[in-house]
Amino acid sequence: MLDKPASTLRIRERLLESERLMEETGCYDGITELELRNQDPLKFETLHTKLRAYCVSAREMARRISASPGVREVGEMVVAIYTPEGDAIALSNGIMVHVHTMSRFIKWMIRNGYEDNPCIRDGDIFANNDAFIGTVQVPDVMDVVPIFHSGKLVGWAGAVCHELEAGGITPGGDVALAQERFTEGLFVCAEKVGENDELRRDYVIRCERNLRMPIYWVLDEKAKVASCIDMRESVKALIDEVGLDYWMKISKEFIEEGRRAQLARSRQLTVPGIYRGHTFYGHVTAGKPGYQPLGDPDWLYNMPIEMEITTDGKIIMDFEGTQPWGFHSMNCTPAGMDGGMFVTLTQHMNFEGLVNDGAWMATELKLPKGTWTNPDSEMAATATSWALLLPAYGVFQRLLSRSFIARGFVEEAFVGQVNSPMIEMGGTSQYGTLFGMAHFECAAAGSGALAIKDGLDTAYVGWNPESDMGNIEIWEQNMPMLYIGRSIVPNSGGAGKYRGGCSFLSTWLVSKTDHLRLVTSEHSSRVFDNGGMCGGYPAPTCQKHRAVRNSNIFELAGKGAPLAHHTGTNPHRSELELRLEGEHVTVEGPYITAPHKTGDVFTHSYNGGGGYGDVLERDPVKTAWDVENGFLTKEAAEGVFGIVLDEDADGFPVANLDATKRHRAGMRAERLAKARPVSDWIASQRSRVEAAAFAPEVKKMYASAIKLSPRFTKDFSDFWQVDAKAAFGVE
Amino acid sequence: MSSYSKEVIADLVAGTLPWPQTRRVMSAYKDDDRFFKYVAVLQDRVEWKDPILLPVSDHLFICQSGDERVTKCECGHSFGDYRKNWKLKAHIIVRDTEESLREIYPNSDLPDPEWMEIREFICPECGTLHEVEAAAPGYPIVHDFEPDLEGFYRDWLKKPLGGE
Repeated sequence: MLDKPASTLRIRERLLESERLMEETGCYDGITELELRNQDPLKFETLHTKLRAYCVSAREMARRISASPGVREVGEMVVAIYTPEGDAIALSNGIMVHVHTMSRFIKWMIRNGYEDNPCIRDGDIFANNDAFIGTVQVPDVMDVVPIFHSGKLVGWAGAVCHELEAGGITPGGDVALAQERFTEGLFVCAEKVGENDELRRDYVIRCERNLRMPIYWVLDEKAKVASCIDMRESVKALIDEVGLDYWMKISKEFIEEGRRAQLARSRQLTVPGIYRGHTFYGHVTAGKPGYQPLGDPDWLYNMPIEMEITTDGKIIMDFEGTQPWGFHSMNCTPAGMDGGMFVTLTQHMNFEGLVNDGAWMATELKLPKGTWTNPDSEMAATATSWALLLPAYGVFQRLLSRSFIARGFVEEAFVGQVNSPMIEMGGTSQYGTLFGMAHFECAAAGSGALAIKDGLDTAYVGWNPESDMGNIEIWEQNMPMLYIGRSIVPNSGGAGKYRGGCSFLSTWLVSKTDHLRLVTSEHSSRVFDNGGMCGGYPAPTCQKHRAVRNSNIFELAGKGAPLAHHTGTNPHRSELELRLEGEHVTVEGPYITAPHKTGDVFTHSYNGGGGYGDVLERDPVKTAWDVENGFLTKEAAEGVFGIVLDEDADGFPVANLDATKRHRAGMRAERLAKARPVSDWIASQRSRVEAAAFAPEVKKMYASAIKLSPRFTKDFSDFWQVDAKAAFGVE
Repeated sequence: MSSYSKEVIADLVAGTLPWPQTRRVMSAYKDDDRFFKYVAVLQDRVEWKDPILLPVSDHLFICQSGDERVTKCECGHSFGDYRKNWKLKAHIIVRDTEESLREIYPNSDLPDPEWMEIREFICPECGTLHEVEAAAPGYPIVHDFEPDLEGFYRDWLKKPLGGE
């Protein structure tokens, strides 16, 4: 046991010492025995619970200070308490992805000599939203304050809010049009923004003059500072109670305990071995206004992931074979990738025991330099990193779930998160003022199915386990659009024995403005960026936008005539086209176009989750309920699931079990007749592969992966028995 | 630590355990004796006698078949050596046209078949759909899972497999 009271070392030396001890002993900060835990386990647990309570309470208090519906309504905030070296000890609920990104921010300041200049003093406030220092994207603005006790740095308190407006080239927080760093918005790069517990006036002025809607950012800053001070004072009172030496020791033991718990949980819940999966993301911008000709306008990314679980319980994720970073907003820094790993682990494995940075230390990420996971240029834009992070960590969830199924913990298997495209907006508000906002109802997508039940409908996103779409009335206060519909989208969950959770679609009437810019990010329809599992299908791709400019909706409303409240279930002719006159527009995302004005109607659909298991095993009775309640259509029940539904005397659907059995027997026979040996199919495809006879974007994807990854090249060549480099013209 | 009867595990696996009880299982400390009860439940479900060593999907199991360890469908069809990708011995339906994608996605916008296809991996004997891949045309078929079977039994379950 290495016994370290409050260190007399300078903080940078202490950080290096801590890392060296971890390297030498394999244990966090060289803690090879959990001495305090063994002495008094109850006290150990009680103290950690207290710290967690400090965090939860500080976050709830701070949300009431915020003016942003993102923070107040949807809970886009997280707070945490750190060691002096910047490792998370305890955290609140909320957007937990940022617990580890804040850790990187604190360590970055320590490594860069902040102790000497600009100095770290009691009452200082430091802020950051630079993803290459430690966050995911520009709107994720973090504030940390040092905690001093008896004149010594004994920890940090930190808080993050996701801002709804970041002052970028397009309005909102997730700046879809950003193609390089310089268009992403207002950067605060590990900056001292306050002293003596007060934000500097000049910093606030900078925010006020560089944002479309500064009230969100500025009041969020105050909320974060308040939460940090609250946690700091609680920790200081706790140290008064337990003693400084005890605090310094137990705070480290908490983290080592978290590391050990993660390893133990891997050994308890999973099976060692190698797991593989992949997903894709397509981006389509050719001909859309505003895009600079810096790279290919349309592109396709592959995201192969290999996960190894070693026999000591360590989880290693490897992204080799994926695509290079590009001039678009969807690149991700290692901090963001770490954050994605952290938030996924907290949801899937750390549901008991202590949750802190220790869990992250029991994992390893392999992020090939030069790819979108680890750009080799810090000028790369990361404004909409989630577009790639969400699909990638959806794969991670499926890989973990495969291990849960193998081990028998079927109740934990989960087909995973999906992309949840967001609407950003700005222009003139309904009050006649300048405004900008990200609409955060996207924080309630459909989840993937579980291995024992259907997915959650409109109730899950990967980045925040407490999913919430927010109340319509609150959103309407903050934007010049009124809801004329918010509806479940039938058949939007992936089909399977257990279907994925359904998504919803919002339909808005633009109101009281002559200038409303609407922009969507993280969005195209070309490929599935989610997946199914064990025979389940992916959920549908991102849906196109349907809008009506200069509609006759006011005239119809005046006459009391029916309006369109959703797009309907006919993919070739929407309800909007049926009921409204005007200029009808159907656009594949991202949506970037001329401003809208009063009388226009706009729709946006979120995504559902992937399915689990063979569709022909789905419960007919449950399916009748789904049809009755609008989650599935009768046509899909019969055509996709093989379930024949009749109607009862009141017109409600009821399953016809005999007819279903016969219909499914026919579908199974048809399946067998249609299917052919995989070996035949491979043989039939080889000449196409050899000739690289693919769409230009597909061809480019292969060429890029082959250029970057020897392993991808070998796997591709071995599988098809072709020379991959020659086929795709790679030197 | 928690422990459940084989009947409870059987209902859990079948998705028929009532939700309040399922919720309690999800929230409770995990039962360390789950694996062998789970395997026993699955063994009861299949009509063949080869001992199941490890489930790898909803209806696919690695089992000891004589001297060999093979991946087997619940119907009894063998896909061969468990270390090889079972998909290569399966049958396949590829949906790479709008018409064939529309059969599964009747109401929604579709992916571009030039960019993406759906591959359905099917047991040639019973027609069970074991796995679906959504991939770009030309993408190699993925080998989902290569378990460290020996390491799992030896180091984690403390019951080394025979023949080691």
